[in-house]
Amino acid sequence: MASRSANFNRRKFLGTAAASAGFFAVSPSSLFAGPKRRSPNEIYGGALIGCGGRGPSTYKEMTKDLEVEQRAQCDVKFVGKADNKMFYTDFRRVLERKDIDLVAIGTPPHWHALISIAAAEAGKDVLCEKPMTRFIAEGRAVADTFKRYKRIFQIGTFGRFGESKNKNSILIHKIMRSGLLKENPGVFVKSGGLKVKEWSGRVNLAPQTPPANLDWNLYLGASPWKPYVPPRHGGTHRGYWDYEGGGLADMAQHTLDPYQWTYGKDDTSPVEIEAYAPPAHPEVCAMWGWIEMTYADGFTLVLESGEWGNKYDRKQAHKPVLDDLDEDSRKKLQALPDPEPLLTFAEAVKTRKQAGGNAEAAHRCAILLHLANIAIRTGRKLKFDPVKEEFVGDELANRYANLPMRAPWHL
Amino acid sequence: MTQDKIAELVDQVPALDKRGTFTGTTWEENLPIFDGVLAAGRAGVTAVVAMLKEIDDGVDYKARYVLHGIAQYVGRPGKDAARALFIDALASQLGGELSKGAQGYVARQLQVVGSKDSAPALGKLLADPELCEYAAQALLAIRAAAVEQFRKALPDLKGGPRLTVLQALGVLADAESADAFKKALGDADLDLRLAGAWGLARIADAGSADQVAKMATATDGWEAIKATSASLLLAENLLAAGNKAVAARIYKQLLSNRVEGTRAYLDEVATEGLRKAGG
Repeated sequence: MASRSANFNRRKFLGTAAASAGFFAVSPSSLFAGPKRRSPNEIYGGALIGCGGRGPSTYKEMTKDLEVEQRAQCDVKFVGKADNKMFYTDFRRVLERKDIDLVAIGTPPHWHALISIAAAEAGKDVLCEKPMTRFIAEGRAVADTFKRYKRIFQIGTFGRFGESKNKNSILIHKIMRSGLLKENPGVFVKSGGLKVKEWSGRVNLAPQTPPANLDWNLYLGASPWKPYVPPRHGGTHRGYWDYEGGGLADMAQHTLDPYQWTYGKDDTSPVEIEAYAPPAHPEVCAMWGWIEMTYADGFTLVLESGEWGNKYDRKQAHKPVLDDLDEDSRKKLQALPDPEPLLTFAEAVKTRKQAGGNAEAAHRCAILLHLANIAIRTGRKLKFDPVKEEFVGDELANRYANLPMRAPWHL
Repeated sequence: MTQDKIAELVDQVPALDKRGTFTGTTWEENLPIFDGVLAAGRAGVTAVVAMLKEIDDGVDYKARYVLHGIAQYVGRPGKDAARALFIDALASQLGGELSKGAQGYVARQLQVVGSKDSAPALGKLLADPELCEYAAQALLAIRAAAVEQFRKALPDLKGGPRLTVLQALGVLADAESADAFKKALGDADLDLRLAGAWGLARIADAGSADQVAKMATATDGWEAIKATSASLLLAENLLAAGNKAVAARIYKQLLSNRVEGTRAYLDEVATEGLRKAGG
């Protein structure tokens, strides 16, 4: 909760934000001149929203194999720098521009879903940094919006493109998707590399006055209002539940996305989740030992931190192989075609077909991170319905799957 | 006995490391602390609440951690009696002399584990600009009995709390709030207008179709983007409710009134909707 000074600053920033909204409510008409119909080689207008950290790399990825002219950069720390021509603090002003076709989102994850949705509603295609979302319902809303508006979405992790060209991975993919396995013996174990301690949040910091160049209220967005402490912004935000979800959320979409494709799980989610971790802290992401997630077909996915508690020793890693099939099934498998190649963002933008890391697939991967973190936070074994995207028989766990948002933001 | 005994229990939580991060011990090691607090009944819980400071700067981290740990613990199956005791004790601390900072924290724990029985105590906070958002978020998480609290609070609210509560009624798709949503369409505040349009879309209010669609086509910028989104949602919800005629009217309005050369991407969406509506 706010100290007196923090309260003062909250009012001040709310006032600034309100004034800004009023000032820009009537936008220059030149920004709304409609784009001409584009020929295949015409230049796309590009914008980067969230310019720190991974932002510039995300923008660069978005422009790969496309002719893109950068027309806007937007960041909540551009107070005093924003000219509302090239530099903006408020992403809404960027999305209003009809000369912008492509948007790269490099903000912290608590803004990913809302900006992605608004961009699609404004007719833009999106390349969004991972992790895709802050909670499960956000991902469903993003996927539904991109479907409704027929826009292109690509998540900012690209390992699945290489994986989908690897012979062994294609074979596993085909085995998993074939329906020929009588019992799925697959176990994928990711051990270490999830930056658990590195992205643990700090608890012992007193609130401060936000820097003059930072619109703190806009930074917080839909997340609960909290007074400014420096690590909540600028990379170290990863350590706070309000904005991301620790090293697990930060790294696991990178780690798991390629294998989600390989193991053929782009359209479903685990049904049982169990975590070995201490009782969670209410504000900061902290330590955990391992998480075991099991799909309806028996396939098991394990994340092991290697940074806390006892080692995971329940199951051994096992990649499904041809020997897991009987003779007849092996023959049937050989007759099956290889999967369709995945389209890059550029190919998807040009052809108007779904990108390889589309919103639906990215959402399924983000669900894994959220399931793991919710199991850590609730401290109990959970059952999940992959169709309804809800926990079964656990109303309290479902509260983490669909977090309330601070007005005016909503899904 | 309670205050000293509870202070001893809370103090068993391990200290932060030098960097100020939290490591934690297993659930098994924490359960004696949680069970000890609960065994002292309501007085045990309120004794931990009394340790909360106005500002969350780490000084009271152990008390905050214990309360949150208990919130998760009593959410387990078979812990109904302990949960009822815990949330009753928390709710008793709202609206009184406790600092606003501490009340905000208590409301956030009720967001985790509160029930319909917590709703009246949270509802009282909706009129407090500093606590309204936390109370609203807790009520939205609890859902049960929340809508009555929002309806009751709305008429007296202004500014931020009014927007928070109006939007919450939209989240809950409260058809009884249709008049409040309609009134908001004419407000000078853009966020309230948009919350009104979205609320009407959520409740599939056929009588507002023309007004919401007009908002989408007669405005520009952010208002047009979000009002169009509300129009499409309203049309979809009307279709789902079997009201094809009004849904078709919305799609036609979106198609016919758009400015030439702009929002061309919406043509396909509205045309597809119109087809579904049989128009």
